[in-house]
Amino acid sequence: MAFYFGLLQTIGIHTLLGLSAYILLLTGQLSLAQVGFFAIGAYVSGILTVIFEYHIVPGLFLGALVGGLFAFLVGFPALRVKGLMLVVATIAFSEIVRLFFFNLNWRVSVNGVEVGPDSTQGFREIRFYAANGWDTLDVVLFVWLFVVIVMALLWWLDRVRVGATLRAVGADELAAQSSGVNIVAVKVSAMTGGGIIAGLAGGLYAHSATYVDHLTFSVLLATFAVAYPILGGLSSVFGTLIAVIFVQGVLIEGMRFLGDWRNILFGLLIIIAMNVRPAGLIDGKVVLRIREALGTGKKSGGEGHAETR
Amino acid sequence: MGIDFVDIAQAIIDGLLFGSTYALIGLGFTLIFGAMHKLNLAYAASAIAGAYVGLAMITLTGLPSVLAFFLGPIASGVIGFAVYVTCFRYIPTTNMLAPLMASIGALFFIDEIVIHATAGSPLSFPAVMEDIYLEFGDFGFRGDLIFVLAISLIAMAVLMYILFRTRLGLATRAVSQQPIAAELCGIAGHRTNAITFVVTGALGGLAGCMAAAAVGVISPLLTVPITVKGLIVTVIGGLGSIPGAIIAGFAVGGFENLFLLLFGVNQRDIYVFLLLFVFLVFRPGGVFDTAIERD
Amino acid sequence: MFNLKPIMKPAVMAAALSALISPAFAEETVLIAGWGAKSGPLRSFGVNSEAVLKAAVKEVNDSGGIMLSDGRNATLEYIYFDSACNAEQAISVARKVASETSALIGIGPTCSGAAAAMFGVFQKTVGDDSDTGLQFPILTDTAVRNGLAKISQWTFRNTPNEPDMYDKLFAWVAKTYPDLKTIYGGTETDQGHSNGTYSKVIVQASKRHGFDWATGAIEGVTGDLGSGSTEVLDSSSNWLMADTNFSVQARAFKKSNADIYIISSHPFTTCGMLKELKRRRAEPKLMIGLTSSSSAEVMKGCPDAAEGMIIPTSFAPITPAAEKVAMLANENGGDADLHSAAAWENVMIIKRVIESVGIGNTPETLVADRRMIRDGLETLEMTDGLIGEVQRVQDEGEALKPYVFVQATEGKWAVIHDPRAMQ
Repeated sequence: MAFYFGLLQTIGIHTLLGLSAYILLLTGQLSLAQVGFFAIGAYVSGILTVIFEYHIVPGLFLGALVGGLFAFLVGFPALRVKGLMLVVATIAFSEIVRLFFFNLNWRVSVNGVEVGPDSTQGFREIRFYAANGWDTLDVVLFVWLFVVIVMALLWWLDRVRVGATLRAVGADELAAQSSGVNIVAVKVSAMTGGGIIAGLAGGLYAHSATYVDHLTFSVLLATFAVAYPILGGLSSVFGTLIAVIFVQGVLIEGMRFLGDWRNILFGLLIIIAMNVRPAGLIDGKVVLRIREALGTGKKSGGEGHAETR
Repeated sequence: MGIDFVDIAQAIIDGLLFGSTYALIGLGFTLIFGAMHKLNLAYAASAIAGAYVGLAMITLTGLPSVLAFFLGPIASGVIGFAVYVTCFRYIPTTNMLAPLMASIGALFFIDEIVIHATAGSPLSFPAVMEDIYLEFGDFGFRGDLIFVLAISLIAMAVLMYILFRTRLGLATRAVSQQPIAAELCGIAGHRTNAITFVVTGALGGLAGCMAAAAVGVISPLLTVPITVKGLIVTVIGGLGSIPGAIIAGFAVGGFENLFLLLFGVNQRDIYVFLLLFVFLVFRPGGVFDTAIERD
Repeated sequence: MFNLKPIMKPAVMAAALSALISPAFAEETVLIAGWGAKSGPLRSFGVNSEAVLKAAVKEVNDSGGIMLSDGRNATLEYIYFDSACNAEQAISVARKVASETSALIGIGPTCSGAAAAMFGVFQKTVGDDSDTGLQFPILTDTAVRNGLAKISQWTFRNTPNEPDMYDKLFAWVAKTYPDLKTIYGGTETDQGHSNGTYSKVIVQASKRHGFDWATGAIEGVTGDLGSGSTEVLDSSSNWLMADTNFSVQARAFKKSNADIYIISSHPFTTCGMLKELKRRRAEPKLMIGLTSSSSAEVMKGCPDAAEGMIIPTSFAPITPAAEKVAMLANENGGDADLHSAAAWENVMIIKRVIESVGIGNTPETLVADRRMIRDGLETLEMTDGLIGEVQRVQDEGEALKPYVFVQATEGKWAVIHDPRAMQ
């Protein structure tokens, strides 16, 4: 079972990472800065539990908070740029964060053992779970507790006015502004929220992997973060989850029996998926059908509102 | 060991010469963006893949190595067309994110094909005029980089000619500015876009060959750094601005090498990104600031 | 190596034939697992490692398989997974192998970063029930970054000991080239292995044997391992793993006027840097490289520019056994080098341990078998290596492997000094 529990941890962590990009995509911001916040959360919470011997819960919260703080600070200058400019600016942010940790050397002796981030040698033995007797199932439940909370929160936000506001900004910024939406507040809040979630995901990652180094937080992981919500579709938070299951569960772990073909099929299947379902695996129509089937369908507002993204 | 004026000048010269590669990649991004307002992240991967095909052809057939610089771009043009068909052609034009995502899929796919064909082992790439090293007093110029610069200047001149002096160029610019009006005037949008991908693909292939020749070795490791550098060049040059991309390519090359000399390799890229932020804040329209701001 | 092929071919075919027949007699199988990078730019690691692993497994079976405790004979089988130099995938494969297969031991992963993460999810101290880490023995072949195996008592490595190798190398250089005095170098700073070995091992070893840094002594560097490592990096001219422009670094190398250049990086940038040095007409009297560059990749990428470079390596086809492994690896579509050749030795170590501890090899005894194999690995003091005996450093789970110094000569790595006789 350990394998499946491990996979569930990975899926949970990547879902959070994807959701952090999802909120921003709702407001029309394609951000590759999420991996930067993810890295901040990973290092901050790792440093807290390893060097300062915090319990993991405050460690995670502080990591998420610092991630959110940086996202808040990034949110304002990010207002100035859109589209491709934002993509490149956020790549630059993530890379600067990565290079910061690349240069970070903070070795401390704890209980006679030298621990902490050691620049390129990486930050080893972030072993809170194993050292405190948490088995893989405990960790899965812990990770998924956060996933469920975040998903529920985002799902609820989407059902109330906030969601409509976010999507309005994403659909047509000018129109939203003319109807009295405060663009600055919406975009900066979305960025901050995304930063908190990414920071949380980063903290969970560091403790699941027990090791982080700067190479973990590459542009490649940044593209994965936006890939999940795009692949899954922006009509529902469940799209991101489905996409993570598709990528991590099917493409990466599920196709191992194909040997070398797995690596080649990985990219090919993403291309096919986007051609077949350009609005995501779970697009507006699917959401509508599910709602109708469940008898909770609100006739208004559902009709493929994210169809064009 | 102090840094003197010669070191600084030499670092900038070398950087500028190498910057022609960045300029070509930035040009490709900016052309596709100008034509379709979309981002093709598979671009650098197809550039490197084309260079590999060029290398394979001269190695397998024993043709003179200079031909790699022609065969590579042709191969990249073909790959560029394939990327257009698989990632852009059949996805609704209003959808911005799906083609981006599909091009990421294509990036993985192309890279893995190359990696499987070569087992990920770096291969020696031929350089033209490699034995020439021009020295003027304290300064030196690498012959192969001068060749690279000359080729890229010719490529840019040809591109400018096509864009501004031919009907094809007129159509491309028309589709880029007013796709619907262009369609009404009888210009086939899809065909024009496809041609843009082939032309930019070939430019990328040239850049890929040149980057590989400048290092002397080719490896799929080159893909991600070239993508990032190309994007930075595109933004600094101003989205859609062709002269902007060219100037920015050389500038990024020169500054990068200067930062390396002054701050060391661990901090070099931080300063390159800060340079980008300076442009985003003070000159969001790019070096020339004439390109229409688009999102 | 190549002219041996026609002679060996009938022998190999005969061996293949016997392999086809032998499973009919063997009733049961012993399973081992390997994993490493088979996708991504470092695919050659996984390809080479699997090629050698496959050859070694066949060798074991050709010579009668594995003897179990009660005299039963079992066929050795292996499964191989791709972990793509990725921490999550390496951990995932480790869990999969440990919980979903009957594999008794794992050989992997190939990349040091992935290994550092993967080892962390293993139980740190054996028998510590409060530690819920994985309990599964690992004997890694390729990941060479310093000091990884001590992360867990379940993880062992059979990788070269670089501090010893470079110490002996500089002692030899000092004796062989008494005219050479000054030294200068650089490393690929974003890779833990090249960076750590350079800034903590190589430069200090050169100091120990009386070489002077060409641009003035580096503060804090004594002969001790790791001394002044930050200052070493600041005083050197470095690059990153995916860099393409080495002009500034090559100029600094040339300007240093050093007798000896050190180029501590992996094949791709080693070649980039060497080619640039050649173009700049920087002509050192000697070049010294990183262990990982003593591979076929450098000879494919830049045979001319590498000419004359000296590297210490724990593998070279200098014994009949090593020659055979090099040939078999080629037949399996890979190359035997200092990383992958260890996979052969590891399989032989595993056979020896399994035969000595006497496993039950049934689903019920799986957990106990794995533990016995781990304990067996820990008690080993000496193992047979391809070029000589390998000492085990028991408390750290590491190895002290014999080595030779090779020099790039006309597109091949030629052995120029063999310190094994003196050890």
